[in-house]
Amino acid sequence: MSEPAPLQPSPERLERRAVLLLLMLVALVGATAVYLLHARGVFESTQRLVLMADDSEGVVVGMDLTFSGFPIGRVARIELAEDGNARILVDVSRKDAHWLRTSSVFTLSRGLVGNTSIRAYSGILTDPLLPDGAQRKVLAGDASAEMPRLVSAARELVANLTTLTAADAALAGMLANTRSVTAKLDQPGGAMGLLTGNPKDAARVMATLDRTNQLLARVDGLVRKADAQVFGPQGLAVDTQATVRQVQALLGDARGSLRKVDALLEEAQGVASNARVASADLGTLRAEVEASLRKVEHLVNEVNRRWPLARDTELKLP
Amino acid sequence: MVSSVLDSHRLGRAVLHGWSAWRHIVHLGALVGALALSPVYYGRRWRGALALHLVRSSWPLLPWFTLLSTLLSVIIIRIVLVSARSYGLTQYALEMVVRVLVLELIPMTAALFVAMRVTIPAAGELAAMRRSDALEALRASGGDALRGEIAPRALAGMFAVTLLAALSSVIALLLAYLLSYGFSPWAIERYTRIVGHVFSPVVTLVFVLKTLALSAAVSMIPIGSGMHDREDRYGDTSVELRGLVRMFVVILLIEAASLLGNYL
Repeated sequence: MSEPAPLQPSPERLERRAVLLLLMLVALVGATAVYLLHARGVFESTQRLVLMADDSEGVVVGMDLTFSGFPIGRVARIELAEDGNARILVDVSRKDAHWLRTSSVFTLSRGLVGNTSIRAYSGILTDPLLPDGAQRKVLAGDASAEMPRLVSAARELVANLTTLTAADAALAGMLANTRSVTAKLDQPGGAMGLLTGNPKDAARVMATLDRTNQLLARVDGLVRKADAQVFGPQGLAVDTQATVRQVQALLGDARGSLRKVDALLEEAQGVASNARVASADLGTLRAEVEASLRKVEHLVNEVNRRWPLARDTELKLP
Repeated sequence: MVSSVLDSHRLGRAVLHGWSAWRHIVHLGALVGALALSPVYYGRRWRGALALHLVRSSWPLLPWFTLLSTLLSVIIIRIVLVSARSYGLTQYALEMVVRVLVLELIPMTAALFVAMRVTIPAAGELAAMRRSDALEALRASGGDALRGEIAPRALAGMFAVTLLAALSSVIALLLAYLLSYGFSPWAIERYTRIVGHVFSPVVTLVFVLKTLALSAAVSMIPIGSGMHDREDRYGDTSVELRGLVRMFVVILLIEAASLLGNYL
């Protein structure tokens, strides 16, 4: 008995399934297309930023411009400027454009393994916003370009170190001297013998130190005596204090006397001023008296001239 | 002397036969392509045959292939993420996953899966129909073998490859996000940017063309070989095997061309 043929779905059901499959494909492709367009930033509102660089090596279209590690823009185009520099046109999304200010700094750094990145730094976030179409110079840093310089510097350093640590170098001599100094320090006499160079001089230094000690002891005694004489109960300081008190008392008396003299002087000054006024009046009085006397004399002369008893006043010389 | 002459004669015939086979495959492909672009072909008369083969090719494959590609994607994504993390290259892991898995592996996997499950058996059916003169009988009765039997199978194969590739790609992108960031929605923007960075216009075009080329290759080559080759001429290799070899060669060439387009 032959097996029954597998049941085929009805034509309508087949067509429905076929349409479903077609719709599934269209939905998948459509959704993917929209997602990719969104991922590429087609639906994003952007503003243009132009970065000028000496060398755009490593920069590719679609590369991100990052700010604090977050991508805020995308390289849209790279072209040569008229002066031969590279112009990197970056589309920055408008919702993130507020992170870029007029004082923002842009860097283009190339790592050792070739990964290039463009970064933006904004130190002062209160500065004006970077306008659309702004043009800025980008600071380039290339780690691989620093390598030859680094290698050369390292080579130079190694050569210097080799010269420094050579057997006939100054450092070796200095270390040998240091060793001999430390050996001398270990010997009897130690640091004293090292400083003076020989035992005789070391003994003299010790003798000098002993005498200095003795001198200091004597000076100490002198100072003690002087202290007693100056600051003791019968000392100079006490006498000086008493003298100062007496002088203060004398000065007080003198002050009182001076006050009295001051009063006398004031009175004398008054008298002098009165005398001055009187002198000035005396002068006027004198002038008036002289004028009166002159008048009287003139009157007497007139009387004598006119009176018969007038005498001949002419003098006749022998 | 005689054997060398016979060998060169055989070689010449093999080259001519191969050239003839490729010409037939390309010709058949052009005919099927023309039919696919003709709106008239989707009329009531041929809609039934198209729907039948479309559903037969794609409907049974959906669950199994989805499961298989999900498993493979999880494994590959996990391996790449863990390896990248151990080398301190986490920032490149996602991009690598998207490039390797979505751009390269998934289209090829979908094409080979459809070839094994759909188009090679379909080519065998057509070859059997040709051997039993069923196609001749159909033509004699006024039917159209190309529109009724050959084109629906070929177009269904192409449709199946495209659908499975699209579905698996979406699933792979979703899995890559989940395995990298978990169920957190806060990394969607960053992940979208990475995907957008990978899918530049050139890369997207190459991906689409590659998927279409692979679908055409796995559909047309087995069917074309089945319709052209005959068993009695080359007894040492079967018709299916020859079709398979031609298909793999073309798949290899398509892969090489896509790699050139993406990375050159």
